[in-house]
Parts: sequence; structure tokens; C-alpha cells
Amino acid sequence: MSDVVDVEDTEDLECALEDDRTARRRVAIHDIAPGADWNEVEEAILTRRSIRKFKGRQPPAHLIRRILEMGRFAPSQGNCQPWSFVVVRDREMIAEMEQYCVAVCQNMTAGIDYTNYESGSEQRAAILQNTQVLNRQNPNSFHPVPMTAIKSIAKGRFAVFHKAPTVILILVDKRGVGVPEVDVGVVGTNIVLAAQSLGLGTCWVGFSRLLSSNTALCEKLGVAAPFEIAEAICVGYSIGNPAQQPVSRQTHEIIWWEGGQKEVLY
Amino acid sequence: MTASNVEKAVVPPDHLAIWDDPREALYGRVTIDLETCDGCKLCTVVCPANILELYGPKDNLKVRIKEDFTGCMSCNNCYAICAGQAVIASEPYDFAGYYEQKRIGKFEFPRKF
Repeated sequence: MSDVVDVEDTEDLECALEDDRTARRRVAIHDIAPGADWNEVEEAILTRRSIRKFKGRQPPAHLIRRILEMGRFAPSQGNCQPWSFVVVRDREMIAEMEQYCVAVCQNMTAGIDYTNYESGSEQRAAILQNTQVLNRQNPNSFHPVPMTAIKSIAKGRFAVFHKAPTVILILVDKRGVGVPEVDVGVVGTNIVLAAQSLGLGTCWVGFSRLLSSNTALCEKLGVAAPFEIAEAICVGYSIGNPAQQPVSRQTHEIIWWEGGQKEVLY
Repeated sequence: MTASNVEKAVVPPDHLAIWDDPREALYGRVTIDLETCDGCKLCTVVCPANILELYGPKDNLKVRIKEDFTGCMSCNNCYAICAGQAVIASEPYDFAGYYEQKRIGKFEFPRKF
């Protein structure tokens, strides 16, 4: 491998040819000491919370454009950029979307909520069987956590779009390279972190996918094939300031290979 | 009943968690420090699972977990918004009947390396 040059070698080379242009091309290696303070990006990542209570005040349009612009510069597979956005800032439109999602959740609880009946009862046994079949067809959607959410939405205890003043629907182009859904997730992360750094609160809403079964509403919103609703992000000003301190989170296993040795870290 | 003193049920992989059996469905645990809690109500507002409520006389309100407690997913929103750090989600949720949690460690605050 003769064409591979060591980092030290290139540095020597650049030093030899040092002039204004090469100096600009060089990337400085920052020496960051162990245990250094968080920088601004890390700070935004650590203090970001999912905001579910919003003030009524509408965030200005230029801020929404600004965070969407950050989404546009996300990495994607083959640089195919398989996304598109629908920004909904009409109260009536959000209310209509909300209403439809609530109706779907109410239908779902009637048919599959195995938590409504006592353990050992006949209804419970029948419904549990139903849910097991659905669960095999559509894994992950009937985990106890979304199940609780579906139940709360049906009862009106929990709003799908959290009464947010702005809802951004992220659409995925199904023709994208590789796994377009992953690219859409990266876009959303950019949007959410940019919003956090600008003082806006955000929340991901996976239940927005329920909207795709309503063709009339999709047409009205401007969602058509090959685009599909992947996720929604609610944006607004949060009530209270949950970004004042980072919280504790679970640690996950890290398998660490170095120097021919395998280690397990947490 | 806390996570540590409940013996986990052995269940087949396709079985869904039975809601009211603590061996199969364990929700997150919330620890509340009643001395620092000043009853400001913010945590009850932000809790996405809506499991916290205020109780007590008007001049000495405290927060507590609702009796029909379901669905704490240890998101720690309550801790994040609490100025006095009186509320904290201390244990994760775990649904033995749905799937077994694997490769998971303890709760940790952001660590500097």
C-alpha cells in the first residue's frame, strides 16, 4: 500500500509547502484534555428533552425555516436525500389531524386493549389472542408503552400532537438508497438539536403515521406516493424549562476491541 | 414493590406482558424527596404518562404517585424540570413478558471522559 501516507508525513509535507492556501486547507487537531467541559453541541444534546406542553405562542416562521435548513444538511446514504417536509401551522388543520388519530386510537382500544379487563376473564383471553396475532404481523407497535399511550389518547388524557403550534411532518421517499428511514431519522435529529439550541421545544410523534390511512386528509396535506409520513416533530415554546439540567439515562454495553483484546464497558 | 424483590417470570417469547402481574410488567420507579419537594406542580404538568399528582394541605403541597399508577417509562422529565431535584426516576421499566432487556447497565448521569 504505497499510496497510503501517514498523518505525520502529510504534516511534514504541508509544513514544507506552507503558504496561506495550504494553511487554510489544513484541519487543526484540537487537543482536548480528558474530562474537559461540554462544548455547545454536547450541551444541546444533553439538555434536550421531549417537550409535551407548549405555550400558545407561535414560533416565528424564520426559525422554522432555519431548523429545516439544518435538516437539509444531514448525511444520507448515497447522498440521495430521501425526504420532504410538510409544515402545518394552522390550528384547524392540526385539530383535524388530531381528531383522526384519536378516532383510530379509540377503534384500536376497543379491539385490542387487553388491559381493560381483569386477568382470567374471557374477554381478556380473546383480546389477548387478537393482540398476539397483530403483534406478530406488526412487531413493536403493541409494546406495553405504546399500548398505554394508545389507551390514554383514546380517553383524551394525552394529545397526539401535544397541542403544539407548529407540526413538521417528515416524509420519506420510499425510492431512497439503502434504508431511507434511517436517513429520515438523521434529519430529524438535526432538526431537534438545532431547535434546542435556538430555545425551541420539540417532540417526536410516531403516531403521526396513523394519518397515512386517511387518503382524503393525506391529499389535503400534500402527501402522495412515493412519499410517506415517517415521523412528525412538534415545535413550540415549552412551558417551564426542562433544559436546566441533564438527567440520568441507562448505560448500554460497549464491546471495545483494541490491541487484539476484547473488553466490555458500560 | 421494587424491581429487585420481584422474581422474574419465565415466559415464552411470543407472549405479551400481562398488565397487572408485577413479575411480567415492571414500570419505571420514581423516588420523591419529600423534604425538598415544594409542591410547585411542574412535574405533574410535564409527566407524559400523567402519573404524578399533588396532595396535602394548601400551604404544604407535596407530589406523589397516583394510586392507579401505570406507565412510568423512566423518561426523567420530572427530574429535568425540578429546580430542587426532588423527583427522580430511579429504575428503568422492564417487560419480561414482552422481551428481556439485554446489554443494559445502570442509570448514569452524563459522564466526562
